[in-house]
Amino acid sequence: MNLSIGETERQRLARWRLSEELVRREIPGGWSHDGTQIATEPTALALLALRSSTWASIAAERGCRALILRRRSDGLWPAIGDRANVNFWTTAVAVNALMILDAEPKTLASSVDALVHGCPLEASWLVRLKFRFSDRRVRFDSRKYGWPWVPCTVSWVLPTSMALIALERAKKRGLVGGTQVETRLRLGTEMLIDRACAGGGWNAGNSFVYGVPLRPHIDATAIALAALRPQYQQPIVRSSLTWLLGCVQCPSAYSLAWLILAASTYEEVRSGITPTLAAARDRLAALVDDPQGIQDTSTVALAALALGAGPSNNPFEVNG
Amino acid sequence: MSTPVSRRIFGGVLLAGTGALAVHRMRSAGLVPDRRKPRSRVAILHEAVYSGRLDRMLTEGISLFDLDFRGKTVLVKPNLVESIPGAEVNTNPRLVGAAATAFLALGAGSVVVAEGPGHQRDTQLVLEETGLARELRERGIRFVDLNRDDIAERRLATRFTGLDHLWLPHTVLAADFVVSMPKVKTHHWAGVTLSMKNLFGVVPGIAYGWPKNVLHWKGIDRSILDINAAVQAHFVIADGIVGMDGNGPLHGTPRNLGRIVLADDPVAADFTCARLMGLNPLRVPHLAQAAEFLGNGAPERIIQLAEQLPRSVEPFAVLPEFAYLQA
Repeated sequence: MNLSIGETERQRLARWRLSEELVRREIPGGWSHDGTQIATEPTALALLALRSSTWASIAAERGCRALILRRRSDGLWPAIGDRANVNFWTTAVAVNALMILDAEPKTLASSVDALVHGCPLEASWLVRLKFRFSDRRVRFDSRKYGWPWVPCTVSWVLPTSMALIALERAKKRGLVGGTQVETRLRLGTEMLIDRACAGGGWNAGNSFVYGVPLRPHIDATAIALAALRPQYQQPIVRSSLTWLLGCVQCPSAYSLAWLILAASTYEEVRSGITPTLAAARDRLAALVDDPQGIQDTSTVALAALALGAGPSNNPFEVNG
Repeated sequence: MSTPVSRRIFGGVLLAGTGALAVHRMRSAGLVPDRRKPRSRVAILHEAVYSGRLDRMLTEGISLFDLDFRGKTVLVKPNLVESIPGAEVNTNPRLVGAAATAFLALGAGSVVVAEGPGHQRDTQLVLEETGLARELRERGIRFVDLNRDDIAERRLATRFTGLDHLWLPHTVLAADFVVSMPKVKTHHWAGVTLSMKNLFGVVPGIAYGWPKNVLHWKGIDRSILDINAAVQAHFVIADGIVGMDGNGPLHGTPRNLGRIVLADDPVAADFTCARLMGLNPLRVPHLAQAAEFLGNGAPERIIQLAEQLPRSVEPFAVLPEFAYLQA
C-alpha cells in the first residue's frame, strides 16, 4: 500500500483494515450495500478503493467487467439487483469509476450519452408551469435543472452533483463534447447554485419549504462542492466550504469521508484546509476502527478512499 | 369565518369525502381487499416525560392486547427524519428502546429496529445525532437501514398510485410482526403524519431515491394507501408524549400531549391520535379512505382498553391550508 505524505500510522492501519474488509465482503459479481444483492454504488466504490491498495490485483482482475455486466441496454445502471429501476446517481458513480479504472472509451459511449440526454421532469414546460403557478410551497427556479434519482421525477442535489462530476471527467478525456453537454453542465451548475441553503451548504434539494429555510446536510454539501470545484470564485461555494469545514466533528464515517474527499479538492485554493483535513482523517480512522461493524459497504469503501486520497488519486476531483 | 377559509373547508371535506366514496365503490366491487376486523382495540396511556418508567409502562400496555408475536420476528419502525436541535421531529429514542425491550420481554423471538429516512442519506448520522444509536447499543438491539437493504418486488392489490408494484426491503417482508411507531405531528403535505404515513419509511431509497420522489408525484395520500395495503402494521405505538403542531413535520412547535397511543389497527390508531389532536380524521383524505377498507375509524368499532378520549381538547395548530381539519 502506498503511504501518502502526512498519513499517520493510525490512518495507514485503518486504510489497510478497510481494504481487507472490502475483500472479505466481495460476493460473486461485485459488492452489496448490506446483504446479498449486488449493488452498483458499493461495487464501483469498492473497485476504486481497492485499486490503490495491497489488493490492487483484485480490482485489476475484476476490472470494469463487474460494472459493465450490470448495465442495461439503455446505458443506465440500476441501483441494486437486476430488475430495479435505473438510477442516474448510480449511473454517474459507475461512469466516473469506469473512466478512472481505464475502461475502453467505446464501452462508455452509451452511458455518457444516456447521462447527457437523461432529463428530469422540469425539462418539460408543463412541469415548469406547475411549479410556477400551482406548487409554490417550495422555492426554486425550475428553469435550472439537473438530474433526478430515477426517471420521471425532478432534479435533486446528489444525482446532479455526481452527474456533473462524471460528465466533467468525460469531457476532459474527450469522451463527450458539443453544445448539448455544455448546456447540461451549465444548467446543472446553475441548479446547484440555486438550490443552496441560505447560509451555505446543500441538502437533498429544497432550501426553503413554506418559507422556512432548511438545514444543509454534510454529504450533500460535500458532493455538491466536489462538483462545483471549478466555481470556487462564487461566494456561495466559498461559504459552503466554510460550513463544511466546521463539521469535522461529525460522528458518522459516511459523511466524514465525503467531507474529506470534497474538501481535499480545494487544498490548493483555500488556505488552512490541510491541518483541518489531517484532523478529520484522524477522526475518521478512529470511527472506522472496527470495519466489520460498519453496515454499509459504500461507507467502508468511501472511508478507505478518504484516508488515501491525495491530489493525484481523488476519484471525485474534477479540476485537475 | 372568512370566505377563503370556508372554501378551504369545503374543498378539504369534498376531497376526503369523494375519495372515501370512491374507495367504498371499489371495495363493494371487490377491487380492494377489506382488511377491517369487527372491532379494533386502542389503549391511550398517560405519560408526561420520557423516563425509565416507559419500559414497564409499555410492557403492561402491550399486555392489554392478546397479540400473537411469541417466538416471532418483530420489526419496530420508528419515525426517524433528521436531528434538528430543539425540535420534536423523531420518535423518542427512549420510547423506541422501551418498545423493543418490551416485545423481547413478552416473548418475541427477535426484535429489529428498522427505518429508511426520506431526505437524509446518512442514516448512521441520524441515528447518532438523535441518540437512537446509543439507546439501541445499550439495549443490544439491532438496527437495519431500510434504504440500503436487499429488496424484492411486491405486487399491489390496490392501485391508488397507478403503480402495479412496489420495491420493498427484505427485512420488512420477512418480519412476522410489524410495529409502526410514529411521532404525533402535523404534516405540511398530508395534514397529519401518524402510523400510516410513518410507513413511507419502509420504501427503500436505493430504489426510489432521497427523497422517494416517485411517491410524491403519484400523490402522498394515494401512496400512503398503497404502501399500507402492501405492508400491514400489526401494532402501533404512537409517541404523543411530546408531539408537534403547526408547520410539521420538521419545523412545527413542540406540543405536550402527554399520551402514548397503542392499537392493534393502524387506522384506529390514527383516528384516535387525530381526535386527541383535536382534528377531524374524516377530513384527512388518506384516513377517510383507509377507514373504508384498511381498518376501523368509527368510534363504535374501536374498543378503548385504557382511558377514554377526552371530551374536549385544545386543537393542534395547523397551517392555514389545513384549517378545515379543525372544524
